[in-house]
Amino acid sequence: MTFRRFVALGLLVAVLGCADRSPPPNRLRFAIIPKAIHIPVFEYARIAAERTAKELGVEVVWRGAETTDEIRQKEILESFISQRVDGIAISCLNGDLLTDAIDRAVDAGIPVITWDSDAPKSKRLAFYGVNDVEGGRALGDGLAKLLGGRGRVALITSLGADNLQKRLEGAQAALAQYPDITIVETFDVRDDAVRVAEVIASASQRYPDLDGWLSVGGWPVFVRNALDPVDTSRTKVVAFDTIPPAPDLLRAGKVQLLVGQKYFGWGEESVRLLKQIADGQHPTEVYHYSGIDVVTRENVEAYAEQWKRWEAGR
Amino acid sequence: MIRRRLVSGASAALILAIEFALFAFVLAPRDGRPSTFANLANVGLILKYSSIYGIGAIGAAMIIGAGGIDLAAGSVIALASVTTGHLFVVDGWPLAIAMAAGLLIGALVGAVAALLVVRAQLPPFIATLGTMGVARGAAFVITEGRFYDLSGHLPAGFAPFGVPLGAWPGVLMFVAAVIFHVVVIYTALGRHLLAVGGNELAACYAGVRVARVKTFVYVTGGTLAGLAGVVLAVVQGQGKADLATGYELDIIAAAVIGGASLSGGRASVVGAVLGSLIFGVLRNALPQIPGGTYADRLIIGVAVLLIAVMDRVAARRGD
Repeated sequence: MTFRRFVALGLLVAVLGCADRSPPPNRLRFAIIPKAIHIPVFEYARIAAERTAKELGVEVVWRGAETTDEIRQKEILESFISQRVDGIAISCLNGDLLTDAIDRAVDAGIPVITWDSDAPKSKRLAFYGVNDVEGGRALGDGLAKLLGGRGRVALITSLGADNLQKRLEGAQAALAQYPDITIVETFDVRDDAVRVAEVIASASQRYPDLDGWLSVGGWPVFVRNALDPVDTSRTKVVAFDTIPPAPDLLRAGKVQLLVGQKYFGWGEESVRLLKQIADGQHPTEVYHYSGIDVVTRENVEAYAEQWKRWEAGR
Repeated sequence: MIRRRLVSGASAALILAIEFALFAFVLAPRDGRPSTFANLANVGLILKYSSIYGIGAIGAAMIIGAGGIDLAAGSVIALASVTTGHLFVVDGWPLAIAMAAGLLIGALVGAVAALLVVRAQLPPFIATLGTMGVARGAAFVITEGRFYDLSGHLPAGFAPFGVPLGAWPGVLMFVAAVIFHVVVIYTALGRHLLAVGGNELAACYAGVRVARVKTFVYVTGGTLAGLAGVVLAVVQGQGKADLATGYELDIIAAAVIGGASLSGGRASVVGAVLGSLIFGVLRNALPQIPGGTYADRLIIGVAVLLIAVMDRVAARRGD
C-alpha cells in the first residue's frame, strides 16, 4: 500500500518535473500578483505584463489566489519572498494585512511595487493605478448629472480593499454636494460578480423607486444580465470598469456611464518599473497615476477602437 | 487497531517526505543558486500556513473517527478571529483574555453542534451546515463588514515567551497533536471514540457512553477551530468575518488523507497534521513551477484522488 502511494505520487510529481524551469542565466525574475486570478480585469494586466517582459528580456511569474482569499494572497507573496525573486508587483486584496510582508521583502532587498490596489502604510517603492478618490468622484458627479441633482441612489462596493474604499469615499463626497440626492443603502458584494446580480434583483424589489445605481467596481458590468431587473427608463447606472462586455451594456442603454482604468498599463508599467529599479533607477515619486477614461454612449466607439490598439500593444 | 493507526501516520509521513524530496529535486536550480524551496525559511513558511489547517484537522480527524463530520470549521475560525479582535481592539481587553474568549466561542459552537447531533438527532452534515451558517453570520454581525487590526495594537517585535510570532502556529499545532495523539491512542476515551465511529450500536451495548463521546469530539473540534482562528488573528494581525472561507473542505481532506475514514472508526491525529503538511507543500511548491498558474487546484485535486483511491484499494485488500 505504502509503495503504491509512493509510486503514484512520484509519477505525478515527476511529470511536473519535466517542465523546463531553468531561466536563462542572469535573467531577472519578477512576480506579478493580482488580487485573484478569476477576476476578469486582471487578465489584461497579465497579457501586457507577459508582452512587456518579452520585450525587456525578463521573466514574469503571474500567480494569484483562485479566490479573493487574503491569507492565500499573503502566503503567495511570502512564497515569492522566500524564492528571492528580483521584484514583486502586487494588487493588494488587503493592504494592511500585507504591509508587514511587503516591508520584509523590501528590507530583504526585493523591490515591491503595488498596482491597482495599494498598501499605503508599507515600504513599497511605487504605486501604479488610478487615483481612486478621483475615480469615485467621477462616478458620483456623473450619476448626479444624469439625475439632474436629485433622487434616491444605491451604492455597490466590496469591503476590505483600499482602492475600493477610496473610490467609495470619492463617490460619497461627490454625491454629498447634492442635498437632494439620498443614498438609500450601500451593498457589499464581496468581489463576487454572481452575488451582485442577486443584490441588484432583491434591491430592485425593495426600492422600486430607486433612481440610480453606482458601483465602485465592475461587478454589474462583468456579466450581461446582472442589470436586467433594473428599469433603465427610470434608473440610471454608473459603474467602474470598461472591460468587455461593459461597452455592449453601454450601447444597449443598460448602463449610462463607465469609468475605465489602464488595465494593460497595470501589467506593462509594473514590469517596466521593476526593470528600472533593477537597473538602479529608483522612482523619484511613489504615486504613478494612470488617469481614468470616462466612457458614455457618445464616445464608446472611439474607446472601442482604442481598446483594440491596446490589445495589439500599440 | 493501534498498529493500524500507527501505520496510517507512518504512511502519511512517508508520503510527505517523498513529496518534499521530489519537489526539492524538481525545483533545485540548475545554475548553482541556492534552492528557493528546500531552505529553512521556506520550510518555516510551509509550517506557518499549514498549521491553521493542521490545528483544525486534528479536531476534524477525531470527529470523523467518531462517525461524524464538521462543516463549520472555517466559519468558527472566522468567528473566533473576530471575537478576539473585537475584544482586544475595540473593548481593550488584555490579549490573553481576548484569546481565551475566542477559544470559548469555538467550544460554544462545537457544543451547539453536539446538542443538535446528540439531542436533536440531526445528521452531522445538516447540523454542522447550520452551525457553519450561524458562525459565519455571527462573525459578519459582529464586524458589520469591517475588520479588526490586531497588528496595530501589538508591540513591535512581539514574541510571546521569546518565540517569534510566526513560529507560534507550528508550535501550537505540534502541542495539540501530541496531546490529542495521546488521548486517541492511549486512553479509554480514544478507544471509545473510534468504537462509536466503527459501530455505534455495538459501542453502546458495550457500555460506551456514546452521547458523551460525541459531545467531546464536537466541543474539542470547535475549540481547536477556535484556536486556529485565534492564532490567525494574532499572527496575521487581523480578525475578519470572511477569513477562512472554504477552509473546512481542506481541513476535512487533510484529516482523510492522514488516515481518517469518512465511514467512521478510523482516525489518526498525527496523520491529520501530516495531511495538512502534504497540502501545504503542494500549495507552496506548485506556484514555483512555471506555466501552471491555473492548474494548481486541478493538480491538488488529482493528488487527493490518487491517494484516496490507493487507500481505498488497500483497505479493501486488508479487509
